[in-house]
Amino acid sequence: MSEPAIRLTGLRKSFDAVEAVAGVDLDIADGEFFSMLGPSGSGKTTVLRMIAGFELPTAGTVTLAGRDVTRLAPFDRDVNTVFQDYALFPHMTVQQNVEYGLRVRKVARAERRERAAAALRAVRLEGYGERRPGALSGGQRQRVALARALVNRPAVLLLDEPFGALDLKLREEMQVELKAIQREVGITFVFVTHDQQEALTMSDRVAVFKQGRIEQVDTPAEVYERPATPFVAGFVGTSNLFEGETARAVLGREGVFSVRPEKIRLGGAPASTEEISAAGQVVEVIYAGAATRFVVDLDAGPRVVAMQQNQQTSPADVAALRGKPIRLTWRAEHVVAVPVNPR
Amino acid sequence: MRTTRVFTAVAAAGLLALTGCGDGGGATGGSGPGGIKPPKIDKLASLGAGEGQVNIVAWAGYVENGSTDPKVDWVTGFEKETGCKVNVKVAGTSDEMVTLMKTGDYDVVSASGDASLRLIYGGEVAPVNTDLVANYKDVFDGLKLKQWNSVDGVAYGIPHGRGANVLMYRTDKVTPAPTSWSAVFDPNSPYKGKVTAYDSPIYLADAALYLMKHQPELGIKNPYALDDKQFAAAVDLLKKQNELIGEYWSDYTKEVQAFKSGNSVVGTAWQVIVNLAKADGAPVEAVLPSEGATGWSDTWMISAKAKHPNCGYLWMNHIIDPAANGAVAEWFGEAPANKLACDKTADKNHCTTFHAADEAYFDQVWFWSTPVEQCLDGRTDVKCKDYAAWTQAWTTIKG
Amino acid sequence: MTALSTVDRPAGDDTIAARGPVRRLSSWLHRHRGARLAGLLSAPLLWLLVAYLGSLAVLFVSALWTVNSFTGDLVRQPTFANFRTILTEEVYRTVTLRSLGVAAAVTVIDVLIALPMAFFMAKVASPRSRRLLVIAILTPLWASYLVKAYAWRVMLANDGPVDWLFGGAGNGPGYGLLATVLVLSYLWLPYMILPIYAGLERLPDSLLEASADLGARGGRTVRSVVLPMIVPSVIAGSIFTFSLSLGDYITVQIVGGKTQLIGNLVYANIGAANNLPFSAALATIPVLIMVGYLVAVRRSGALEEL
Repeated sequence: MSEPAIRLTGLRKSFDAVEAVAGVDLDIADGEFFSMLGPSGSGKTTVLRMIAGFELPTAGTVTLAGRDVTRLAPFDRDVNTVFQDYALFPHMTVQQNVEYGLRVRKVARAERRERAAAALRAVRLEGYGERRPGALSGGQRQRVALARALVNRPAVLLLDEPFGALDLKLREEMQVELKAIQREVGITFVFVTHDQQEALTMSDRVAVFKQGRIEQVDTPAEVYERPATPFVAGFVGTSNLFEGETARAVLGREGVFSVRPEKIRLGGAPASTEEISAAGQVVEVIYAGAATRFVVDLDAGPRVVAMQQNQQTSPADVAALRGKPIRLTWRAEHVVAVPVNPR
Repeated sequence: MRTTRVFTAVAAAGLLALTGCGDGGGATGGSGPGGIKPPKIDKLASLGAGEGQVNIVAWAGYVENGSTDPKVDWVTGFEKETGCKVNVKVAGTSDEMVTLMKTGDYDVVSASGDASLRLIYGGEVAPVNTDLVANYKDVFDGLKLKQWNSVDGVAYGIPHGRGANVLMYRTDKVTPAPTSWSAVFDPNSPYKGKVTAYDSPIYLADAALYLMKHQPELGIKNPYALDDKQFAAAVDLLKKQNELIGEYWSDYTKEVQAFKSGNSVVGTAWQVIVNLAKADGAPVEAVLPSEGATGWSDTWMISAKAKHPNCGYLWMNHIIDPAANGAVAEWFGEAPANKLACDKTADKNHCTTFHAADEAYFDQVWFWSTPVEQCLDGRTDVKCKDYAAWTQAWTTIKG
Repeated sequence: MTALSTVDRPAGDDTIAARGPVRRLSSWLHRHRGARLAGLLSAPLLWLLVAYLGSLAVLFVSALWTVNSFTGDLVRQPTFANFRTILTEEVYRTVTLRSLGVAAAVTVIDVLIALPMAFFMAKVASPRSRRLLVIAILTPLWASYLVKAYAWRVMLANDGPVDWLFGGAGNGPGYGLLATVLVLSYLWLPYMILPIYAGLERLPDSLLEASADLGARGGRTVRSVVLPMIVPSVIAGSIFTFSLSLGDYITVQIVGGKTQLIGNLVYANIGAANNLPFSAALATIPVLIMVGYLVAVRRSGALEEL
């Protein structure tokens, strides 16, 4: 196995008294689409900035393709960044923005032209070269920023919440597009986001951050299906957590367990070895287009959320359930034990 | 417009007549031939009761009521004694004084020689009945009935005091001690870059005075009356002098500081500046150079349209009262007009220092007058350069 | 909620209208946008017209008059004599060029000093020291202009601190053109630093990071990103330093030695010569220069980015 594209060892960063990154060890493989997911202030952006070289670690090392770059300036690292606010140079045209990195590296004019044109083509912005960033929409600016980074053919592309400023529709379009581009260019993408949906749909692997530490690193499916910590279970998707008294009462087991809302069925038979069932009362019915969420207070104590596709039911049907007693059922295999003390 | 032109003609003719016989140090004066007179204005016949106030136009430092320095006050006592409240308007230049007097809002003015005649021939000021000014009898004879304060033996003002523009130098830097203005005009002066000069067009007269003695072939008879050729020579001299100049001065504190630091080591000054520099510890001395010097002699005049003539007369009498005249002379640094003032000064040597009684000293002094087109020295075959030309030339000289 | 508020509003309006003349006036103003604008702008507009444009107009008109040299009366007959003198006499050309040179030199020096200072303040210093630095730059503005100029006169005096810096009496620049440029640069520096600082503060850090990220070193980033972006700020600052230098006559009197600038000529012609018309004619020179400068700046498009 070759060197990982990025290797972080014992990475720490403190700002005055605050420890933003409290010891991160991570390998990111070459060509991987890697997401760093976490709430704001969890240290994911700081890690990204240390990989880019905008921040120097308080401790630990950053290694890019086997080369220790911990103390190198951004311009000496083979990475490029797409910024959250795009950071396009407003006094330059789109063409000049995209060519900037090549011009700085003294690439010949003809080659510069060609590569910039190719990069703009890749992000579907042919013909926009003479415009200024101010005359572009948010999505277009986003793509210019992408082209400006990709044109340099870096080993690693860092993306810092690149879709944060886009509306939902555009965001979903861009997610698909970005994934396609990544497949095309085949370079390592490190993607920072606080949107678990985004991280799950795009990534090869996801690292979930909490308070400067990584809680779990795994494929999206594993992270979702088998959260390594109660935090991951709560942060990635919605989870019904059973612990202590309620775990004993509902599941008859000792420990912390998670059940995803979409795994819970309305109605059903009493408990068997394969299925777990609990009675309760519907407190709230939330209609959400494709699905409906039911908030149910179980007789055994805990409040759980169940989700049902609106395949056959009408809004009126589900609304009528409010306040009614109900029975919930889910398969035993969907009860996931969550380690209380990970690592 | 027409009145202005008439005044100009009248004034010019009068000046001719007056200065025709002046030959020496400008101290001659009085009556001359010639029929043209200033507008006929009666002098005050007798003194009545004060009107309760008096409006005065004066140089800074001439009318002090203690607000500048509590110890410097010769106004409060006057106000108490006479009941005339003093309202003072300080003017910065002779031109401003003339302008202010034209408004008719002021009763009394302290006019220098380059303003007094313009006021007389402009009909702005009235002759003064010296009999109504008790202290007039004690004024130095050398100041009475001079060309700048009288016409045909008629007094138009009460002399206030006088001073000369002297040559000041650093005793430690300038050796031997200078005796001639060539110290500031010689192009080969060893003090190049450390010479100073008064920053005013009237300083052209200093150059003219120097040329009068050193280039007699130019035929300069009066440094305030320069024809084209003489004027060009004076301008040329000053342009050459510009090479030597470190800085020009118009603010006397600035000159004191420059001499103290050694930025200036030789140049024209007022006696008060010499005294201040010495008091400040600067090793300086001053001489009246062999060529003589320019200077000033100020006159209190009363407006022809005075609304408060009685208070005006009371003021004119008060300001040359020995105590007040001594105080103002000491404060400003000049020679008092009243001989008795010499006994009243705080510094008993003041009159000696400022050559108050030294007529021989003032014979060497050409008091400031306004250059006009009609030559002040009596020539009629040429036109002289007027003050406007002097002003523009001064700009050119400084470059 | 929506239903409630639609019912509520008309009733509320009635009670407001009934509450008195002040309320009535404000609701009338609310409906009449033009009247509101007029009320807001009439005072400043009047000020602009009378105090500013009015005095400029008087300046230009009086430049066409002359003065009777003996009586000091204004001669109100329009003539271009003053302008002819200014154009034909070499000294005015010399002084104008010198004043321009001084203003340009002061501006260049201030830009060179202000750029790194402002950059340090806006992008390098910690927020705490940034506040202190802003205060440090503003404090000299609280001191009197005259005091500062006279302080420099003492510093530049023969055998003074500046001389000692250069190794002894007489080695420093002394009084003169150089001292004038030096002191004016000092006096107007805050007017250059503050707009550049404000411009740099507005410049997002991410642009600098993006430049570095794309391979540019510090110098390249400054040249390609920082400078082009703060050109409007530099121009704003230069309008201050340039026009203030162009109009100055006091500093040059205090430390300029025998140097004269346009301001001195204007002042001398009002003060000593009582020739207001000629002063007015002279004063049009800096006005025209500044108008030309602003037009050039406008052409360059820098004003639009202000």
